[in-house]
Amino acid sequence: MRTPFMRSPDVGTLALRLFTYVAMAFLFFPIVITLMVSVNPREFILPPTGFTLEWFHAAWTSDTFVRAMGVSLSLGLTASVIANTLAFLAVLAMVRYDFKGKAFINLLIMSPLLIPTTIFSLALYVFFARLGFGAGIPALIIGHSIHVLPFAVRILTASMQNFDTSLEEAARNVGAGPLRTMVSITLPVIKTGLVSSFVLCFVLSWNDFPISVFLAPPGWTPLPVELFSYIKFQYDAVGAALASSLILISAVAMVVIDRMAGLRRVMQR
Amino acid sequence: MKSRGAATLLAPAVIALTIFVVLPLLWVVRTSFNETVDGAYMVSAFTFDNYTRFLGSSWYLINTLWFSIRVAIVTTLISVLLGYPVALYIAQTRGLQRSILVTMVLSPLLIGLVTLVYGWIVIFRGGGLLNSLMIALQVYDEPVRYMWDLKGVIILLVYIGMPYIVLSLLDSIERLNPSFVEAARNVGANRWTAFWRITFPLTLPGLYAGLVIVFTLNFSAFAVPLMVGANDTQMIGLVIYREALLNNDLPFASSLSVIMIAANATILMGMAFVFGKLILNRLEVKR
Repeated sequence: MRTPFMRSPDVGTLALRLFTYVAMAFLFFPIVITLMVSVNPREFILPPTGFTLEWFHAAWTSDTFVRAMGVSLSLGLTASVIANTLAFLAVLAMVRYDFKGKAFINLLIMSPLLIPTTIFSLALYVFFARLGFGAGIPALIIGHSIHVLPFAVRILTASMQNFDTSLEEAARNVGAGPLRTMVSITLPVIKTGLVSSFVLCFVLSWNDFPISVFLAPPGWTPLPVELFSYIKFQYDAVGAALASSLILISAVAMVVIDRMAGLRRVMQR
Repeated sequence: MKSRGAATLLAPAVIALTIFVVLPLLWVVRTSFNETVDGAYMVSAFTFDNYTRFLGSSWYLINTLWFSIRVAIVTTLISVLLGYPVALYIAQTRGLQRSILVTMVLSPLLIGLVTLVYGWIVIFRGGGLLNSLMIALQVYDEPVRYMWDLKGVIILLVYIGMPYIVLSLLDSIERLNPSFVEAARNVGANRWTAFWRITFPLTLPGLYAGLVIVFTLNFSAFAVPLMVGANDTQMIGLVIYREALLNNDLPFASSLSVIMIAANATILMGMAFVFGKLILNRLEVKR
């Protein structure tokens, strides 16, 4: 692609490049700093003078944090399974069938993305209070599943649209039933889409704070909320190690998603 | 037969979204007319008290509603000022450099807010990096309060808003036909004129899309003011959070949500009107 408004690297381009690098530094600064603090033997004294895993060890052997990690892990996995199952079925219908009210259904499915999280969380909180459950594990799981659903729908739609249906027809012609066709043809073909969708849903749930803070019951606190209450009262490198653990897991997820589905297409609102 | 297949496949998602999105939202509207009685949890009623309590109080109007609007406008504009050049530059890159830049821009969206806030606190707190550096360089000699202050709220909101702006702009810059700019340059327009007459007007739709997303996010923000705000940063989202979870006043929190959505919709409509005019004006052929 030709450069949109400049011809060759000149003062303007250089200024633009410099500006971009400064902005990138701004975006990346807190992430790098957190990582540095978490492996630095002398608490908060920068630049780091050595390397230690002491803080990570403290974070990963703390009962509170291990428990919170377990909560976040099971919450993320459950929400991803639910969201991807619902999304897969819905996308199958949206891509393969033509029906009245498709645009409306699409709007409904994307609606969790359009509603501010504050409103969505409050609405679920008020609704579950009305039902008599209040904030609790079901409310939290449902909140997370619905919140990540539009992202799953978006990735799966992209991979289903490229699907060559003649493969399925061939399987049906040689006598495979609908279920058999699904398992041995459809699912393997859209495998990359499914994996990246699952990873994205998991990481969004793993890092979520706003929904969890509204809906998590006492005694079942996800990691970000636990980290938040931790840094409210004490401020040490153990917090940094915990934050870094969250960063590293997100980084792995980002690489996987980018390789398989393209990060940019996935995160667009 | 065919549509029955589609209906079966869609049923789980549609039912889930109806029960857990549509119904709760309607229930918020209903709850906003309920009454809170001391001691009782909430009493079913039909009263406008919750609305008048907010809309009738100049304290709430100034320190919560108007304050949130101002913060959202300021942070959105700063995000645009920072994001526009970045999008322009990324559009010119390709290959590995491009994917690294895009990934870097997007990373704050995938790394959780609490994690990011932790990093900012290391930098901005009283005895943090920035203060130590500034004092060492003798720019000022007393630590400046950045975090747990309006400054912190603005920094964080700009930080998490900017990726959305870059993404929306990048989309419309890429759709731009480069030969338009070439043509303008060939008939003698300098780079600046070519930018203002060609690139900028043609990216207005992308800019608008980004503004809508970021303004809505920032206007309704509660996690950022909760984490790094102070007593004087009572954004409306934070008040909703506090009334619902700490004061257990669900009717009041619900009415605030309705007011927030209404205010947001009004502002977005105003913005749509302005942008509609702007786009028409800018695209008109001026001889």
